[in-house]
Amino acid sequence: MLYFSQYAKARLEYRLDFFSSVFASFLGTAAAFGFLLIVFSRVPAVHGWTFEEMVFLYGFSLIPLGIFNVLSWNLYLFSDRYLIEGRFDRVLVRPVNSIFQVLFEAFRLESLQESVTGIAAVVWASRKMGLSFSAPDVVLFVLWTFCGAAIYLAIFIGLTATSFWIEDRIGIVPPVFNLMQFGRYPLTIYDGWIRFTLSFVIPFAFASFYPVVHFLKRGEFAREFWAVPLIAAACLAIAWTIWDRGVRRYHSTGS
Amino acid sequence: MSAVRGEGTPWRAALPFARIGFLNMLAFRARYYVGVLTYLFNVAVYYFIWRAVFRQGGSVAGMTLEDMVTYVAVGWAIRSFYFNEIDRELGTQVQEGKLAMNLIRPVDFQTVMIADAAGQSAFRAVLFTIPIAIVLALVFPLKPPASPLAALLFLVSATLSFFLVAALNFLVGLVAIRSKSILGILRAKYLVFELLSGLLIPTTLFPQPLRSILFASPFPHINFTPAALYLGQAAGTRALGLLALQAGWTAGLLALGQYAWRRSRRRITIQGG
Repeated sequence: MLYFSQYAKARLEYRLDFFSSVFASFLGTAAAFGFLLIVFSRVPAVHGWTFEEMVFLYGFSLIPLGIFNVLSWNLYLFSDRYLIEGRFDRVLVRPVNSIFQVLFEAFRLESLQESVTGIAAVVWASRKMGLSFSAPDVVLFVLWTFCGAAIYLAIFIGLTATSFWIEDRIGIVPPVFNLMQFGRYPLTIYDGWIRFTLSFVIPFAFASFYPVVHFLKRGEFAREFWAVPLIAAACLAIAWTIWDRGVRRYHSTGS
Repeated sequence: MSAVRGEGTPWRAALPFARIGFLNMLAFRARYYVGVLTYLFNVAVYYFIWRAVFRQGGSVAGMTLEDMVTYVAVGWAIRSFYFNEIDRELGTQVQEGKLAMNLIRPVDFQTVMIADAAGQSAFRAVLFTIPIAIVLALVFPLKPPASPLAALLFLVSATLSFFLVAALNFLVGLVAIRSKSILGILRAKYLVFELLSGLLIPTTLFPQPLRSILFASPFPHINFTPAALYLGQAAGTRALGLLALQAGWTAGLLALGQYAWRRSRRRITIQGG
């Protein structure tokens, strides 16, 4: 938290610049909603999903994505910044766990916009559909959002940790990052092998689709909905193990 | 176009830069294997969405599912060709102070930047676009070009798309260097361009008056025009008209970039002096 407020202060020093990057980030999100809007200006429903339900799904998926994007900035730069430039030595001598230091040393603040836009989309869609949420539903909603963010973070921490072994500047991160967009649309439109991949190999579906089906009261995938915290915990455990092994294997670049 | 090709000599002087661009690509091979996979995923998402939309058959804006999937695949395939990072490159040069080197070179700066990108695109066409097209054709049910003439017009148009995107990126780069968070702006630019260029959705599907506004802008010529020519949606004089419009925008934006560069160059010189 202290790291975060320090970083936020530093960023807000350049206020105009910060707001222009928030605005740019928002334009990108808006363009994605534009796609949905145009498709649904032509057809009333896609695979049994109405426009409002799709907006809810897309909006929900943005909330954990925003949290993830705020925290993940250093994961992209990890191998360059920390391993090649040797900053990781400094991280290791400090008494805080290395992964927390890496995550909390830089934030992409403007991505908070994605979470806010996502919440707005969810609220708009719920009103439009006349969905009402009880207090326990709201609690579940918040918890499941954080589980979603944990799933995203765990997957990318695990992938980033591979750079302790492989000195590959590009790696496998971009295609996996692209896989995320499959989670923004109903899982049922995909072929079996993609559904399998998104559920059991890289479980992005547990971060967006399965929670949303429950909140929309569609009455499908109840089992998967309740498995979300378990999946999140499992992902974190795996990521933690890989990271830990990587750190133990780490040798400084010297100098 | 004239800024790049018309004047013989500058183009020849630019050739070594194109060669370097090509060689730089070779050095980062891994990125491009990964890239093929990324493009496959991108097409797959939209393939499944359109398949769901067309589940009951029929057509949307005169396009069948097969047309739509072909449109999407052709769009992403040519994106893998016309894509360049002139804007980001410009930003990096300013931040790292390398711009001065380019100011003392006897070759026009815009020409150098675009020639370098052309080298990269030539590399992409051979080692990236063609493999992607083959993979896409194997995985998805795609249509061949409407006719040999359509194929030819498509190739011309896709080449023009490269110069159009290069001209636009040069301009975006000149604007973005005034901001400190260039990367944020450029990330948003990708998403906005993807929608406006007709890459995500055919421009003809936009509701009015958005559609008319878009067709009066250069954006649909990045992606909609070549893909529509491929599918034979425009033939004869209409096809030539589209190509002429695309070429016109390209030439206009290249000239605008040249003008904007001259102006900001003067400012940069004063700052450095």
